[in-house]
Amino acid sequence: MPGQGQALAPADTAADPRNLVLQAFVPHIAVHTSEDTHELIKDKGFEFGLWELLRPFGERIQGKVNVRDSIGSGKTYEDFAVRFVQLGDGLEGPEVSRRSGEGKGPNTKVSSPISAQRARTGGDVAQIESLVDRHLTHAEEYPALQGEDYKTIKDARSRNQDYPSPFYTLYLRRLLSGIPMAPHETFSHPVACIIAISSRNKDPIQALRKLYDESTNGERRLPPWVSNEYLRYYVLVHDEEQDDITKSITLFEQMKRHFGLHCHLLRLRSSECVSSDDDSVQHPRCEWLSASEELVEIQTRETLEDVEESLPCIYESDTTAIKTFIREMVTQSVIPSMERCISTWNDQVASRRRGISGRFMSLSKKWAFGSSSRSTSNGPNAPTSNSNYDAVQGFYRPEVAEAIMRKLGDYAFMLRDWKLAQSTYELLRTDFNNDKAWRYHAAANEMAAISTLLIPQAMSSKVRTETVDQMLETASYSYITRCGASYGALRALALGMELLRLRGGSATDDAAKWGARLLDHKVVGVIGDALMKERISACYASKKGAGSGRWGSRARKSALWSILAADSWLTLGKPQQAKLRLDEATQEYAELRFKDGLENFGNAWEFLLGLRREVDMAMYPDSALEGTLVPELETEVGEETQDFVAKPHRMSLMGVHAPVLGGLESSPLHGAVLEGEQEETGQVQFE
Amino acid sequence: MSYYFAILGTQDNPLFEYEFGTSKQGGDGVARFAEQARHMNQFIVHSSLDIVEEVQWGTGQMYLKRIDRFYNNYVSCWITAGNVKFLLLHSPSQPSTTNPSRASTSIAANPESPATEEAIKAFFTEVYENWIKTIMSPFYQVNMEVKSPVFRSRVVAAGKKFL
Repeated sequence: MPGQGQALAPADTAADPRNLVLQAFVPHIAVHTSEDTHELIKDKGFEFGLWELLRPFGERIQGKVNVRDSIGSGKTYEDFAVRFVQLGDGLEGPEVSRRSGEGKGPNTKVSSPISAQRARTGGDVAQIESLVDRHLTHAEEYPALQGEDYKTIKDARSRNQDYPSPFYTLYLRRLLSGIPMAPHETFSHPVACIIAISSRNKDPIQALRKLYDESTNGERRLPPWVSNEYLRYYVLVHDEEQDDITKSITLFEQMKRHFGLHCHLLRLRSSECVSSDDDSVQHPRCEWLSASEELVEIQTRETLEDVEESLPCIYESDTTAIKTFIREMVTQSVIPSMERCISTWNDQVASRRRGISGRFMSLSKKWAFGSSSRSTSNGPNAPTSNSNYDAVQGFYRPEVAEAIMRKLGDYAFMLRDWKLAQSTYELLRTDFNNDKAWRYHAAANEMAAISTLLIPQAMSSKVRTETVDQMLETASYSYITRCGASYGALRALALGMELLRLRGGSATDDAAKWGARLLDHKVVGVIGDALMKERISACYASKKGAGSGRWGSRARKSALWSILAADSWLTLGKPQQAKLRLDEATQEYAELRFKDGLENFGNAWEFLLGLRREVDMAMYPDSALEGTLVPELETEVGEETQDFVAKPHRMSLMGVHAPVLGGLESSPLHGAVLEGEQEETGQVQFE
Repeated sequence: MSYYFAILGTQDNPLFEYEFGTSKQGGDGVARFAEQARHMNQFIVHSSLDIVEEVQWGTGQMYLKRIDRFYNNYVSCWITAGNVKFLLLHSPSQPSTTNPSRASTSIAANPESPATEEAIKAFFTEVYENWIKTIMSPFYQVNMEVKSPVFRSRVVAAGKKFL
């Protein structure tokens, strides 16, 4: 069988799902600052303090980062990233009861002090849908802008399933940003915490101590299921303009003596920078916002006149200082401490379990106490004597072996040591299953599947069905049926689908199967439904047949799913998207050996023609009325590439009397100014 | 359970189509497809050809069994020596429309059971025999649509007998 189980090619495009996974599951660093630091950064124009200033820089760390894996071989990564969060961001209660909706309904969180903090937590499928819908509506209204705004690679994209539509990429990205903090996975638990004071502080050492206490057992302490033994990194923010550097250096020396190596002196200018200043640079845009955050951002941007003004500026010297600071912190403190944790846990906890005695231990744990105690643990009774799982509260305490191993797996995953991660998750799967810790069980299965797929090694289809399929099946079943956590299921299946698709060969069939399963489970909303259909079509399309007959290809299947997607898009009032999908389907049918095979199927062919007609109607409503216009325009769109150029004129013509595509006031990104411009150009063209 | 039976020629063209419902367990033999299934069935059958073309080389049998699934629709295939494909799409009726307790053990409810597989095989075998007899007609040419009322009535009878 051609292409079966081949090894993976390296990921090189930004839209590659592997890159997405790499950038999504990164170490989280909490930021906890003193009041005076907050004031200082606020003077610079950053309302939320140091965290907001650092955040975008964490997404691209300057230079190469060297990471040693569990065997001791070093690897360098150019695209290593960390995520800065405020201490306590992303909190979601442990699995207490089955909540009806996902994660954070309005009533789920009591501890969160501000709604802004809640907005930063992702994992809300409904929000993601409405965000993508917003972008889609915008793209429908201004089809010409699509190229620049959504980074569409038009020429390369047109018929290449490796470039998913920008909206799907956005969907996945928002799905993976702002991973809620939960007991069953530790990706969003902080691996380090920045404790910052500024040079304005009168009693610096005392302030640092207070901040430390607050984060350890004070009011800002994280819930009991978050391990408290993360790295503390002490930062002194020096105000270059008002304070004396010699004093700060003395203080910094003192800090070093107190706290050891994990200290940094960050020198910033305290005055607010405006874009007219000499050495001002724009504060970079954050790419990993959560959906609700981006929605808020779009709303505020709409009220502003000028788009450029909404982005704050900082001095270039500040940028350099911040970049150096982050690089130093990550390469010299965060990564080494993570590596150290991995090797310690691996030696002390995981390898014990891997050996013969460890297997025996888990066996004896299972059988020695008789089956009676097991069978009573079904309900939320008192925790059974031989299990570390606290069934009443629904979590493992951070110091027990299972929790540590989960952390080990996650750390290894974040440092891209897939093999170690995979073997750790593999051990955990059975443990969690025995303890009936279903949410943990689902999450371990999910990550086991993902890390297995990330190992760039050929995999036979038999192994694949035995491992990956099994894990995905268990993960989705546990997430949906046992925990009612549709977000987790969606994440597991969507990533599983994308990663399987990359493997080519018969794995693409599997990928499509999981996509269809995702639709079966009804975990996505209407937008996600259409996007998923699109992706299933892409999955089938990426199975290339052999020889001139394209034996074994899935062209007809792919075309069918494209048509389904087109139908969904049309129902949603997005004829532009529907048109794209229909074009794809037409092209696939045209490449078949028997091109007119479908034409003989009366009903199906009629449906396809009808769909095409309706899409045309929706896109150019007056072509039906003003018949004279049609031939002119048709000659214009003879070629695929010109199609895009031609659209704005037609849109603007009809925009005058028939605003069918939704009110203009709902346009998310560009205001009425642009609409006006478009009309002008349109008229010039047609005069 | 509702069935959609199609015979596809060598150029993916339909030669014969027939929709019917189960006659077992007191079924009345009438297909209960939704309105939109009229075109979807054809799409599904057409897209299943992708799978048929792959599976047909892997076995010496004419009966390829259940080869494909689309949501709740299952597709079984029989391929003749002349590369004509018999495709049977079967979709179990939704529990709301029929009495679920009675139907649950029958072949009508469980498309994955071996009993269903056997029943479909018997159906295909009978249709195949009639198909051979029909295309032996001197006026028949390859890939011509089959309009013979005799053949149709035999297919109906086979459907009634086995499914």
